[in-house]
Amino acid sequence: MPAFRRKSAAVLAATASIALFASACTGQSSSATDDASKDTTITFWHGWNSPGEAAAIQADVDAFQKAHPNIHVKVVGGINDDKINQALRAGGSNSPDVVSSFTTNNVGKFCSSNALVDLAPFLKKDGIDPAKTFPKTMNEYTQFNGKRCTLPLLGDSYALYYNKDAFKAAGIDGPPTTWSEFEADAKLLTKPKGDSYEQLGFMPNYHGYETTTEHYLAQWSPTYFDASGKSNIAKDPAFEKGLAFQKQLVDGLGGFTKLEKFRASFGEEYGDTNPFNTGQVAMAMDGEWRLGMALAAKPKFDIGVAPLPVPDGQKATHGKGYLTGTIAGIAATSKKQNAGWELVKFLTTDTDAVVDFANAIHNVPSTLDALKSPKLTADPRFKTFLDIAQNPNSTTTPASFNGGQYLVSLQNLGYDVESGKQGDIKAGLARTAQEIDAAIAQAK
Amino acid sequence: MSYAVETPKTPKAPEAPEAPAATPAARTARRKALLQWIAVHSLGVAAALFFVLPFVFLLLTSLMDDQQTLTRDLIPHHWAWSNYRTVFEVPGFLTWWRNTLLYAGLGTVLSVVSSVPVAYALAKFRFRGRNLSLMLVISMMMLPPQVIIIPMYLFWARQLDLSGTLWPLIIPLAFGDAFTIFLLRQFLMTIPNEYLDAAKVDGCGEFRTLIKVVLPMARPGIAAVALFQFFYAWNDYFGPQIYASDTPASWTLSYGLESFKGAHHTDWNLTMAATVLVMAPVILVFFFAQKAFVEGVTLTGVKG
Amino acid sequence: MSTPYTLRAKHRRSALRTLAFLSPWLIGFCVFFAYPLISTVSFSFTHYDGFSPATFSGLKNWSYVFNDYPLFWPALRNTLWLVVVMVACRVVFGLGIGMLITKIKTGVGVFRTLFYLPYLAPPVAATLGFVFLLNPGTGPVNSLLGDLGIPAPDWFTDPSWSKPALTLLAVWGVGDLMVIFMAALLDVPKEQYEAADLDGARAWHKFRYVTLPNISPIVMFAVVTGVIQAMQSYTQPLVAGKVASGVIGNSGQPFEPGYPDKSTLTLPQLVYNLGFQRFDYGSACVVALVLFALSMAFTALLMKRRGGLIQAGE
Repeated sequence: MPAFRRKSAAVLAATASIALFASACTGQSSSATDDASKDTTITFWHGWNSPGEAAAIQADVDAFQKAHPNIHVKVVGGINDDKINQALRAGGSNSPDVVSSFTTNNVGKFCSSNALVDLAPFLKKDGIDPAKTFPKTMNEYTQFNGKRCTLPLLGDSYALYYNKDAFKAAGIDGPPTTWSEFEADAKLLTKPKGDSYEQLGFMPNYHGYETTTEHYLAQWSPTYFDASGKSNIAKDPAFEKGLAFQKQLVDGLGGFTKLEKFRASFGEEYGDTNPFNTGQVAMAMDGEWRLGMALAAKPKFDIGVAPLPVPDGQKATHGKGYLTGTIAGIAATSKKQNAGWELVKFLTTDTDAVVDFANAIHNVPSTLDALKSPKLTADPRFKTFLDIAQNPNSTTTPASFNGGQYLVSLQNLGYDVESGKQGDIKAGLARTAQEIDAAIAQAK
Repeated sequence: MSYAVETPKTPKAPEAPEAPAATPAARTARRKALLQWIAVHSLGVAAALFFVLPFVFLLLTSLMDDQQTLTRDLIPHHWAWSNYRTVFEVPGFLTWWRNTLLYAGLGTVLSVVSSVPVAYALAKFRFRGRNLSLMLVISMMMLPPQVIIIPMYLFWARQLDLSGTLWPLIIPLAFGDAFTIFLLRQFLMTIPNEYLDAAKVDGCGEFRTLIKVVLPMARPGIAAVALFQFFYAWNDYFGPQIYASDTPASWTLSYGLESFKGAHHTDWNLTMAATVLVMAPVILVFFFAQKAFVEGVTLTGVKG
Repeated sequence: MSTPYTLRAKHRRSALRTLAFLSPWLIGFCVFFAYPLISTVSFSFTHYDGFSPATFSGLKNWSYVFNDYPLFWPALRNTLWLVVVMVACRVVFGLGIGMLITKIKTGVGVFRTLFYLPYLAPPVAATLGFVFLLNPGTGPVNSLLGDLGIPAPDWFTDPSWSKPALTLLAVWGVGDLMVIFMAALLDVPKEQYEAADLDGARAWHKFRYVTLPNISPIVMFAVVTGVIQAMQSYTQPLVAGKVASGVIGNSGQPFEPGYPDKSTLTLPQLVYNLGFQRFDYGSACVVALVLFALSMAFTALLMKRRGGLIQAGE
């Protein structure tokens, strides 16, 4: 190819890619101009996918369609945050109008990037005051830097599940309240068998389903970011203490390798063969939904529930736990935002809808009215979770500019610590703090 | 590249047994041959076990009940054939089949139809830039799909609004697939020019020569590339992951299978039943089309 | 007939005809290769998260990937490991099986089919199968090893064994190499072996001085294509990591590839992680270009070493 033609081809291609850039930025018109009283169809994405939960959210949506016969809802289930993130960017006819996510991790990203529309005008239009409608923590984790782009759709709180029969057999009176009691109990409950276990007191490894870093660390009441938005994990001693305790637990219960090998024999987390249901582990750190799931699996033992233990010096704060929840919002790329708002409003603020859905999937209701509702058919054990949700010392993980990436970085450090690869936790935290700051700078 | 160029060739028939001889030297030679036969075939059996046992274990596991998969027993306590029925009842499983067949079937037809003329031109035409074109084809063939995925994804999703479907994977195949072009070109090189010249003497243009003379002769090669393309689409995981993963209605078997265990809260027995079902068609196709496979690739393959 | 005028017309006609035959691919080349490649280069100098408009950011993405992105160097190290160990194992084993099959006298068709079958197993299915077979707790392989009193490794849950486990999976699917080597071995002239026999050469010497020189171009081909394949490993390490980690549900927790301990990370997975999990399209393009450079370097080697690939039959 002669040099001249080569050059012009390059110019052409460059122009083409600039054209792509330009058009890549047009998907963000956030005008709510559709008429929600006209016949219309909206797409709603959610993450639930176990048969019972999928049926429950469908029933919730059906109730909405009954109340709004003109709005038809196409429901797509089993969607995770990666996919939501991808679709909110892509827009287009297959993209959702309304999304819900199981975690609050991405609220910061959704709000700061305008991926989900600001709900303040909608709330104002319908005279809803979030402060008077939702519990305080939930109110906070659904907004970022003063911008509200999501609303809570049921909440999650984490507690300790324990096998009462196993406790009796091991001669333990009741659930532990401090981590040292917990560690002692976990050891008492552990029955080794060959190079494996007949029964393990507790699966401490971070890959052990819900035993993630943030769920542990909440019991040390950590502060993830300082006032300037920089990672605080190297400065707040809570992180070092939490990571060190988990490592101590791992070592005390048989060591990382042996535990990881045992973990590989576990059944599915959300299936009937969850290791707590099968009696493979005697204690589990898990969310409130587990109670309903565990009872449905008809285990051969009595299930106990208690708040998670607290550090030895903080006995007074026993009763706190990690809080998070499902959130719902409206995609900025949606052309049917008013119709979408009707669905979001119904799902998140209609007391009956919230109560029915909470009853169906055993989650924590997310409005003040629903929490007080007499229709809440809760197992007495479920009250533990409601109390944790309302405990002033309970914490959540803060929204961040680049979503939950800082939690992934911290979790990776956790893996290095538990496996013994990172012996010096302090140095690891300092390095990870740098990594988090670099990632946020890169995202800005 | 995910499929290698190969040159199967039927090995020579076993040698005729040597004429019986009575000399001691001949007897030692015969005993040596027998020992060698035993050694070679025991090695063969050992290797066969290595290649086949995984399939056997998968089959056995797929017939266990969900309690047994968490134990060390290898033989099913009772043969749970119903697992295979249960798998088909998993929501979406049939849709994955339909989507995979669409992607693999339509993609194969498009890629063959569009690649044949290109391969023919590269094999039989003389023109400036032919070697360059061929080098570019090889480069495209070796290009990992991840290299250009960002602009490609934005192109399909934002310009054409096709994310959530398999069309971004099928449409490009209508514009010639590099691997298909390359393999077909290798095959067409082996067709003697005399046939083409004869057709031209009869007054055929290039296009009619291609249709009337070359295509019938290239049938084994086309069958081989079609099989490769079909297998490629059947096995593709990255493409569906990028374009179709957010729309369960567009999932393919490879993508669905990966999330099968977690998403449907099933245990290993059902997962393995699904795995066996995904493997089965590929292996069946191979058995039925082995001849085309071997014949076609013999000549297209890269020879030393 | 052959006046200059008609000749030129004929030339033009034949050029047009060539163009017509090549046209599907020419369009494909521009739209699905040249354009996205150029676009990838320009993206790599751009800050773009898919929401706000793309802005020029100079070398920032390049510096982020090489200095601050924690997954880059582990992925590169793993790639090197796979390129050296996995390719070597596959070539040696493939050659061994190829030689074995040429020696087998009885039932050669059955053996050949059995040896070839695993190569056809769809990667996701094969990987799922191997994660199950090699499950350290309940998998049949470790059960058998345990019964034999052999200490069994933890395979996909142990960072130092996950790559060997992937290698085992790759070696299991060695059928493609077996076929190539088989053909090459059968092409070695018989007379050379007979001459060696007359000299009283031992088996090893025959292999070293007769077989190897004859098949070395094919070995070279297998090595270079193997290297390209290994650099592009995507499906198997990703699926193995996901399944073995237990994080394959659809909960909000993202799965960062590499389980256990970044040991199964490869460069193509980074493109996915940066582009479709972190939505840092610019940095994803940086990794894509690194991958491109490596792939093309080896492809060039392949084309240079084996000019026959292109010129054959001219």
